[in-house]
Amino acid sequence: MIEIRGLKKSFGATPVLRGVDLHVDDGEVLALVGRSGCGKTTLLRCINFLEEYDAGEILLDGQPLWYRAGPDGARRRVPDQDARRMRQQMGIVFQQYNLFPHMTALENVCLGPRFTQQVPAAEAEERGRRLLNRVGLADKVDAYPAQLSGGQQQRVAIARALAMRPKVLLLDEITSALDPELVGEVEDVIRSLLAERIMMILVTHAVGFAREIAHRIAYVSDGLIAEIGTPAQILEQPRDPTLKDFLRRIR
Amino acid sequence: MLDVRTLSLLLQGAGVSLLLALGSIACATLLAMALCAMAFSRWTAVRAFYRLYIYIVRGTPLLVLALLVFYALPALDLKTGPYVAGLLVLTLYVGALFAEVFRGGVLAIPRPQWESARSLGLPPGAMVRKIIAPMVVRYALPPYINVCVMTVKASSILSIISVWELTFAAREIIERTLAVFTVLGLAGAIYFVMCFGMDRVGRRVERRLLAKGFVGAPV
Repeated sequence: MIEIRGLKKSFGATPVLRGVDLHVDDGEVLALVGRSGCGKTTLLRCINFLEEYDAGEILLDGQPLWYRAGPDGARRRVPDQDARRMRQQMGIVFQQYNLFPHMTALENVCLGPRFTQQVPAAEAEERGRRLLNRVGLADKVDAYPAQLSGGQQQRVAIARALAMRPKVLLLDEITSALDPELVGEVEDVIRSLLAERIMMILVTHAVGFAREIAHRIAYVSDGLIAEIGTPAQILEQPRDPTLKDFLRRIR
Repeated sequence: MLDVRTLSLLLQGAGVSLLLALGSIACATLLAMALCAMAFSRWTAVRAFYRLYIYIVRGTPLLVLALLVFYALPALDLKTGPYVAGLLVLTLYVGALFAEVFRGGVLAIPRPQWESARSLGLPPGAMVRKIIAPMVVRYALPPYINVCVMTVKASSILSIISVWELTFAAREIIERTLAVFTVLGLAGAIYFVMCFGMDRVGRRVERRLLAKGFVGAPV
């Protein structure tokens, strides 16, 4: 379970998140939608602490992440060692795949288990092969990223995130950079994860896909969750006028 | 006038030059790795030391540095002789150049790669060995080879502190035979061959690395 309370973040003088409150249950799939620049990607990156934030709390299963109150009451980043331990509990997949170019697909997937979780080499490799098989790339284990299509690279990236056995999977516009005919293969992999009831938070522009897989959709506007509800509520009976306008534009 | 003895003397000198160059390249690479780590230290004082080292060593002519070390070592009661002094000077100098080459390589690592590595929670040791070092090797190889080639040529300066290497040998022979152009031409050709060889080795390594998958380059 993830709880976010009063999350605030500015880039210089520009506020990006203005006090986000959000609550995601175990096994829940939450889609974040909204105009570009509304703060949805920043919100996702804050959860993984790829962005520092100025105020507010993020809790995973009740444990506060990333910041602690110091002895003087001031808020401090947790030590790097603790941050690494917290990061292991979540996987993130990026828009641009971001595989390590000098490693094969299998090496990319095994890296985290092997060196972060100290899984023995043979076991990590076994886990990696199983995951690559799962995302339909059993025949590409020894391929380098440059030899794979965008869709294949993104599937390796999903396997890499899953290899850490995360409690939550963060997906940042994972099909936006793909050619249209490659979107389906990546979406299929995500669909296949639904049966495992892993918590997923996805930032997406693909409203149709969000409606299909998400339990709830949150509409982010101007650094706040402007409206949140089931896909039917958000997409068919939007109340927020900017959401109505947003839906009109993307359809 | 160009007899076997002359040629063998020049080749012996070339051997010393090459050994000095390769030895100092090896030592300087280790030194540069330590320096480069300092460049990215979280402590300001360590980063300041790095900048100071680079400014001083890079901003001093190698010839001045060589004379300085050559006279300074005995003054410090270290009886090491010209060869150790020469190796030390080249290492200190080339180390500064390598360090900047490595720093450039680290800066060239795309931000998304850092984020991927961080999101996996990799500990610092694995981060350096598995992500940073392999990428820096690829980005830094061409300028690294550049400095290696320069090191071979820079070793000729050590003749001034009585290191008997290729340039020293050439001058000795010229004093004896007065065949200035033949001997210097020959010495120059030998330097060229050493540098050319180094460049070829560099290119081969480069191609091997590119074949092992690297975005932005043809596989």
